[in-house]
Amino acid sequence: METARRVVITGLGAVTSIGLGVEAFAAGLREGRSGVRPITAFDTAGFAHANGCEVTDFVPEEWIERTDPAELGRASRFSVAAARMALRDARLTDADVRGRASLVSMGTTDGESRDLDDLVAAQVERGSEHVDPALARRIGAGRLSSGIVAELGLTDVEAVTIPTACAAGNYAVGYGFDAVRCGDVDLALCGGADALCRKTFTGFYRLGTIAPDACRPFDRGRQGILTGEGAGVLVMESLGSALARGARIYAEVLGYGLACDAFHPVAPDRDGITRCIRLAHRNAGVRPEDVDLISAHGTGTKANDVTESGAIRQVFGESPPPTVSIKAMIGHTMGAASALSSAACALAIDQGFIPPTINHTEFDPECGLDCVPNEARVADLRIVQNNALAFGGNNAVILFGRYQER
Amino acid sequence: MDLDALVISGWSVVSPYGMGAGPFRDGLRAGRDGTSAGPYGPFERAGVVPDFDVARVLGRKGTRSMDRVTGLTVATVGRLLDAYLPRPFEDAERVGLVLGTGSGSVQSIMDFTRDALTGERPYHVDPARFPNTVMNRAAGQSAIWYGLKGPNTTVAGGALTGLLALSYTARLHRGGGCDAILCGAAEEISEQRARLEWHANGPGGGPLGEGCAMFLTERLDTARRNGRAPLAVVRAVRFGAFGAPASAGEALRRCVEDALKDAGAPDDVRLVAPAGGPFSDHESAAIGAALGGRRPPEVRGRPLIGDTSAASAAFQLAAVLAAGMDDGLALVTSIDREGTVGCALLGQPGAGT
Repeated sequence: METARRVVITGLGAVTSIGLGVEAFAAGLREGRSGVRPITAFDTAGFAHANGCEVTDFVPEEWIERTDPAELGRASRFSVAAARMALRDARLTDADVRGRASLVSMGTTDGESRDLDDLVAAQVERGSEHVDPALARRIGAGRLSSGIVAELGLTDVEAVTIPTACAAGNYAVGYGFDAVRCGDVDLALCGGADALCRKTFTGFYRLGTIAPDACRPFDRGRQGILTGEGAGVLVMESLGSALARGARIYAEVLGYGLACDAFHPVAPDRDGITRCIRLAHRNAGVRPEDVDLISAHGTGTKANDVTESGAIRQVFGESPPPTVSIKAMIGHTMGAASALSSAACALAIDQGFIPPTINHTEFDPECGLDCVPNEARVADLRIVQNNALAFGGNNAVILFGRYQER
Repeated sequence: MDLDALVISGWSVVSPYGMGAGPFRDGLRAGRDGTSAGPYGPFERAGVVPDFDVARVLGRKGTRSMDRVTGLTVATVGRLLDAYLPRPFEDAERVGLVLGTGSGSVQSIMDFTRDALTGERPYHVDPARFPNTVMNRAAGQSAIWYGLKGPNTTVAGGALTGLLALSYTARLHRGGGCDAILCGAAEEISEQRARLEWHANGPGGGPLGEGCAMFLTERLDTARRNGRAPLAVVRAVRFGAFGAPASAGEALRRCVEDALKDAGAPDDVRLVAPAGGPFSDHESAAIGAALGGRRPPEVRGRPLIGDTSAASAAFQLAAVLAAGMDDGLALVTSIDREGTVGCALLGQPGAGT
């Protein structure tokens, strides 16, 4: 059995409603910027309210170099652009990456469902046989990862999309961690991407879980999620590789846990989440009292926040560490959510601050968490936990640590 | 034999030949055409699982909103568990599921949007069907149905999906958190999938197929401890990519050569299960080059059951098990139109196992 390698994060890419690129994203997190605005992705007539966190200033040609954006759906454009950003941030050229064995793993909830929406709209209008071949060619979920491979011209690569819904980003990062740690690959580009679409907005609206104005995680008056979009990509490599090339190290990936509630198609289960957190701690070699910050799934629905808080208290006792949700700022970006919050965790560790949970008006004793309301906080963070929960009871929790020589 | 070796110690399929491994094995061996006359969207024929009605197969309870691909998956997982992994599980938290998918059910996704666009109000949709529009539905529902509490992951990667699921499974096993992982892939025939594939690939492609192939994977020592005879050892899973379609064969040749190196047995391939898709010529040339011109016997399912897309590589693995492995290695290869290639080498468990 080979010795397990340490795995570090050396580059970040982010396409979000509060900023494009890692610097803008970091500044947005620190300022507590809000990405909320009325949705323009589709006609919202007939909905009583339709705010979302849309990416409005994204020009694919500014980021994507080799691929014709017309061949990519919106989620794949985000995915490829975020990978470009992450490589640039890691100071890796295409040639550097092509020379290494690599893994590309991207999570998603909806893949190119935005295109599927458009295909349906055309069928409703023009008859159900009507299909635009250009859209039909770009809808496969696998393209979120194979699109990155094509853009970078990689050849020695395993490309996989992990559509495990709203926990998919953490799944994808965890998979990169496994592949680098065991020595199968030298480099991993991992994250998640999703584009705002009518289908998903409608589903959550019908379930009564879309907030009328803003997303307020852990607030007594919280009324639900706002759907968002974007992509997050992390460059991960072995510590040896990072040190050899003098790379900047944001954080170390310590380990993660996956567990399935096997309980309910959409509702979270407290004991299932608790089990997943404990598993992640065990795999990462971390005790609850070591954790300085939790980046929660924190969707801002009544059910999620009280259930997740309950699980956190089961593990951490009556005084858990500060627990924030960046979904208040960027909305619920679905498959990108835990990839972007992984990036936020890495930034928080590297830059020594806790991103705030914005839109906070009233403490909710039922959740009972210090959600770092409204203002970022300076903090010396050694170990940070990132929670992700999904439909189907698919839970994934990752632990990140500040890189320290051993 | 390495006791940590990953083995396949059980398998089941629901295929155009019917329910279970037996009909699939018989159909393949006889070379029987598994497709039937349609129409299925623009296609005249398709490889459809005969008489597969979710409520009939799984019972009416809990299946009202279950879509076809979820039903195919839940049914196949059930058959696999019944045959090889008796419930209650020793430890349900150590039983995982890794499922390959194309895009979940495009029919379910598009039906949901259609309801939203054509209803009296844009939110007049059936909330019970919303989970069907999320791609991890089949995996999550299988977990709920059978109480599988270990890692539950959905993977997608076009034609390579079944190989990617196997690779994911292998790494998950190395992490040590699971006793058993059910690994496979599923795809459904639907009007919308038929239309989309027809237009994406250009008219004139062969018939589509559907079904689900699932494998029980575990470490050799676990299989032995539980008295299960391993059917195959997973010796290598490898991937690569190409830019121009003309380099597809070159990419696959390198991929197969790397896999043979991993397996440490370059001259021992006795059976090949190629994808046989639109890159068939490149694929054959690559296999020939990697094996030094030797041409072992082949098993090809696609001409018989149709293009099962995201389930195709899983059905290729099943075809190897159906053919039986007496000796040497079996090679499974695939090329996806998005520019990716993959292969797996299965070995026979060998004497003493």
